[in-house]
Amino acid sequence: MIQIIPAASRYSAKNDWLESHFSFSFGEYYDETNLNFGPLRVLNDDTIQPGKGFGLHPHREMEIVSIVLKGTLKHEDSLKNSGLLQYGSIQRMSAGTGILHSEVNPSPDEEASLLQLWFFPVKSKLTPSYEDITYDQDKLKNHLLPVVSNTPSSQVAKIHSDVTIYLSKLDEGKELIFSQEKGRKIYVMAIEGELNINVDHVLTPRDTARITDTEKLTMTAKHDSFFMLIDLPGGE
Amino acid sequence: MLMIRHAIGSRLLFQTDIFEINEKNDKWEISIPVNKKDVQEVLKLKEELNLFEVTEQEKAWYYSSNAQIELNDEGTELLISADHKTVYPLS
Repeated sequence: MIQIIPAASRYSAKNDWLESHFSFSFGEYYDETNLNFGPLRVLNDDTIQPGKGFGLHPHREMEIVSIVLKGTLKHEDSLKNSGLLQYGSIQRMSAGTGILHSEVNPSPDEEASLLQLWFFPVKSKLTPSYEDITYDQDKLKNHLLPVVSNTPSSQVAKIHSDVTIYLSKLDEGKELIFSQEKGRKIYVMAIEGELNINVDHVLTPRDTARITDTEKLTMTAKHDSFFMLIDLPGGE
Repeated sequence: MLMIRHAIGSRLLFQTDIFEINEKNDKWEISIPVNKKDVQEVLKLKEELNLFEVTEQEKAWYYSSNAQIELNDEGTELLISADHKTVYPLS
């Protein structure tokens, strides 16, 4: 089954420094029927104004992935990590038993856009940890590039959840096939462009698809596309 | 001031200036006089709560990793046993 969630149907929140679009219940948006898709609990599409951001705040018991799409995000945390994230880099933070961090757009004049995803961890009370990786942007072209996985490898952030996040840039007319074990789930977000999945379903920018009972997924770019695919375990 | 927030997006669920916190054996026993109807959402989301004790200088973050949050038999007091506390400056 393929359920398309149009970008325009997402809950949106905007103030003088932050514009957010929530794919799942978050903050003031609480819908019992839209809490998660497998271990994926949060997908926020955020745009942060120059010089603004999230001050010091805590997290626990979540695997948090930040994918910067535009601009720069400055990260600092209570483990003494700090770093500048830009397009081409991925941050994974395991909140575990508790971590404090801040995320700020340090630019004086450029907006920062990012996708932030929260996953339930495979087990609770993990030791908090953090990493950021840089992936080879050339490898996105017409290829599903794993950038976050529970199987460690070079240029892939290690997550403590049974998921793999892929990014891809697919040229117009090109096709990719994703095959999956029976019983697992797939989540797709079109970031840019226009993408057909299994012929009949069209994703335009920021549309998402929640996919179950589908062992083979064919993605065809109607126009040059940038998209994210997440391989998830089955179950609730 | 004591604030109880949902851990997923920090929605404020309950706020009060009347509360007691007593440390005992590396745990913090927090008691709050309440009206039962005002804490239904807190009890529903008890697995995903953060508590913040806020002063002019700092915040103390508490949570109960085993969701030890309950009403007393009379429904007049919320009792929380927190096993984590982190103090940090107000930003």
